[in-house]
Amino acid sequence: MGHVLIDQEGKPVFAASTGRMEWNHTGSWRYMRPRYENKLPPCTQGCPTHEKIPQYFAQVKRGDYRGAWEIILEDNPLPGVCGRVCYHPCEDVCNRGEFDERIAINALERFVADQNLDRRYPASFRQPSNGVNIAIVGSGPAGLSAAYQLARRGTAVTIFEAAAEPGGMLRLGIPEYRLPRHILDKEIHDIQSLGVEIRTGQRLGTDITLEDLQNRFDAVILALGAYRGRAVDLPGRHLKGVRSALDFLRELNTHQPVDLPERVTVIGGGNTAIDAARSARRLGADVTILYRRSRTEMPAVREEIEAALEEGIDLKECCTPVEVLGDESVRGLRWIKTRLGEPDDSGRRRPIPIPGSEAVLETGAVLLAIGELPELESLPALGTTGSRIAVNDHYQTNLEGVYACGDVADGPVGTVVDAIATGKATALAVLHSLLDQKPAANQPPVVTYDQINLDYFRHQSRPALPHLDVRDAVQSFTEVNQTLSPDTAEQEAVRCFSCGTCIECDLCLIYCPDVAITRGSNGVPYVINYDFCKGCGVCVEECPREAMTFEEELSCTN
Amino acid sequence: MHELAPALKPYFNEETTEDILVIEGTHAASHAARLARVQAISAYPITPQTSIVELLSEMCATGDLDAQFIKVESEHSALACLVGAASAGARCFTATSSQGLLLMHEIIHWVAAARLPIVMVNVNRALAPPWSIWADQTDSLAQRDTGWIQFYGESNQEILDTILMAYRLAEQVMLPVMVNMDAFFLSHTAEPVALPKQELVDRFLPPYQPEFRLDVNHPRAFGGLAKPDVYMEFRYHMQQAMEEALQLWPVIAEEYKYHLGRWHGTAIESYRCEDAETILVTAGTITGTTRLVVDQYRENGVPLGLVKIRMFRPFPVEALRQALAQAQRVGVIDRNLSFGQGGIFYSELKSALYNGDHRPLLNGYVAGLGGRDVTPDVLAEIVEHLIHSETGQDLVWIGVKA
Repeated sequence: MGHVLIDQEGKPVFAASTGRMEWNHTGSWRYMRPRYENKLPPCTQGCPTHEKIPQYFAQVKRGDYRGAWEIILEDNPLPGVCGRVCYHPCEDVCNRGEFDERIAINALERFVADQNLDRRYPASFRQPSNGVNIAIVGSGPAGLSAAYQLARRGTAVTIFEAAAEPGGMLRLGIPEYRLPRHILDKEIHDIQSLGVEIRTGQRLGTDITLEDLQNRFDAVILALGAYRGRAVDLPGRHLKGVRSALDFLRELNTHQPVDLPERVTVIGGGNTAIDAARSARRLGADVTILYRRSRTEMPAVREEIEAALEEGIDLKECCTPVEVLGDESVRGLRWIKTRLGEPDDSGRRRPIPIPGSEAVLETGAVLLAIGELPELESLPALGTTGSRIAVNDHYQTNLEGVYACGDVADGPVGTVVDAIATGKATALAVLHSLLDQKPAANQPPVVTYDQINLDYFRHQSRPALPHLDVRDAVQSFTEVNQTLSPDTAEQEAVRCFSCGTCIECDLCLIYCPDVAITRGSNGVPYVINYDFCKGCGVCVEECPREAMTFEEELSCTN
Repeated sequence: MHELAPALKPYFNEETTEDILVIEGTHAASHAARLARVQAISAYPITPQTSIVELLSEMCATGDLDAQFIKVESEHSALACLVGAASAGARCFTATSSQGLLLMHEIIHWVAAARLPIVMVNVNRALAPPWSIWADQTDSLAQRDTGWIQFYGESNQEILDTILMAYRLAEQVMLPVMVNMDAFFLSHTAEPVALPKQELVDRFLPPYQPEFRLDVNHPRAFGGLAKPDVYMEFRYHMQQAMEEALQLWPVIAEEYKYHLGRWHGTAIESYRCEDAETILVTAGTITGTTRLVVDQYRENGVPLGLVKIRMFRPFPVEALRQALAQAQRVGVIDRNLSFGQGGIFYSELKSALYNGDHRPLLNGYVAGLGGRDVTPDVLAEIVEHLIHSETGQDLVWIGVKA
């Protein structure tokens, strides 16, 4: 065996082997086995489209912006849009938030998209035809997302869009200071490059019928969105100057002349309310937002509310309108203070008017932003939940071969990313049904904060996001928020814990006392040689991000 | 260099000395490590050792010393780090004291059995509880059976010189060496110390060139399993190395004197032992005080002598037998205690004399534990007791309050 040196001409004796020790398969001592297994980062779990955030951060760190973009594109064809308008639920669950400050994921998504504005999809995105032909009604985020996911898998897709230009609410609802149109155009153009045909000016019920589409296509996906302002029982609502905030935005965004009085009141607390208020502010109006609950209950994105306040918009919390005043046109609004009672069905505290607290606000226009509902008159045969199309877990309606997603369908509604997510899921469900293409298997467990090895991280603050000075911002519809610099983006990607995601930090390799871990090849970062791994678990213990799993050895035959 | 007082000239050899500094014992040890050009230092702070590695860390920071300073979370890790560094062929240094030394114990055995020539300075400090930071040799003597060569020093100069010689010895016999100094009496007492010229040290102590080293290009396993058919041989060879060390040490001391001009004796030093009927045996700083007491007795015509033990492991049995061959009465003064037996140097000496030709009356005195001062008066009390003893006594407590 000769693994110890014995007396060499009277020299001292060392307990050292005379050669290599590969014959000694210490792996037979093992009763616990480490293995590499990426877990689900909470951000990916929290993102409705499940973007692989730490993975594309890894590419950002390397400076491979195309690679980062392609990773996002697996789940979301609209990163330039989402990097600007998404309410980023991913950041709310970021583990780093418990350590110092959550990662600026949204800003990084935008950064990646903006680095690729001159790039087109790789050739691999165009797949041979799978023989399936799908019609999609609506070219908003849900319809575009579904079209994209289908087309990438070789499906022929035709989108029917009622408006003159594609984009749905992205184009008609969201103001340009949040989403410059060249970004939207670029990403729609990318989707069209896969062969997706978009026919504009095709309104369902007028220009085309559902029956016709059902006959001509293998399946129909309804992604009409929700454009009708919710009805409101407010005395004086028929006066001139009272209108839906969305209609106001639609006119503005389609560049129709908008006539706005000096004083404007917006009623509501969602993103449409803020968009309308900030847009009116840019048109020179004095704007007041009336919201019946307190600011913390407002459904709008925090940053948007803060920006509105900074821009000089007056927010009246806990105020609800009583009556619009005026003869023909609006002159004012009578409102009343509220207090918050017990939580209602939505989980938010119910506003209760306080008797005797009424007051009058002078205003020339009232914009109602209290929610939007779909227009379903052209689709009488479809089953509904009352206001939206009823779908099952596979996004199927009651009609054979007809699916629905986005705001028109029952489910998560009201945000761009939810629409993208349901569009993606619907596309996969259609292919599953028609071609038996199974969606991805079980999800691994989500990484929790206590699983992060904090020894490897030091406190570091979140970067300030660049934006226009407020004095300039309110002068025009120029985009307010700006893109991170490459240096800042890289630093922020490095700051990410990369929960559950191997980033090849080498700590497992460095710490293995048996040199049983070696670098892999062909995209496999590391290989564990189980002939020598004694199962000490040091690699798993040191892994800062829970990208390894340690489990009992079930077989004794090494 | 400053002009030396004539009396100091033979001690601080001008030709070999770069500079003379008035420094405490800890810093004498730091300068010795620097002069030895150690390449890896790993240590954990503990009073009264800390200033040794504090100064070394500064030397590493300023570039005066080109060494890796490895910060660790415990003494156990400190020595474990050096196992790796020494296996890779680096000349290594560490320092500790008392509880820290005890925490190292597992690795202390390992270093010796792995035949790694690490040199460590231990500042002899009493063990807790009750807490004490003062001088007591029980900490290092508790490491007696680990396979480390051990030295005890009397002055800051001797500590510096012994460390340099220790590397020569360690790297020749491939055993680690522990150089011990008494807490505060040496560690925090400033004395004039001559720093030898670097080029002379380099001539005396060439770079460490191990026969085997951890080398990724030539993989081999270290410290593997030895079955009963070979294990005993490893231990036999360690003992052989200890015996070799005993033979080599006087040669290295001569060489040191040749290159650097200073002599502190061999494994032991005899002081005024010619014709001495009564001899005191000491180790550490009690020795210096004892020299004074010997001089006083000699002035009064009493034939008193002193044997200072420098090297405790390997134990210099033959040298001690010869040094004590003419003595009628021998008293060992121990600043340490093996509970249930007595002073540890005393026990060692007694067993060394048993198979010899001459067995003088032998008394064991335990004094100065936990840093209690052993003054000339205390030593005189011991001498009087020894001179008037009829039979040998294994354990005589000195100065214990009733």
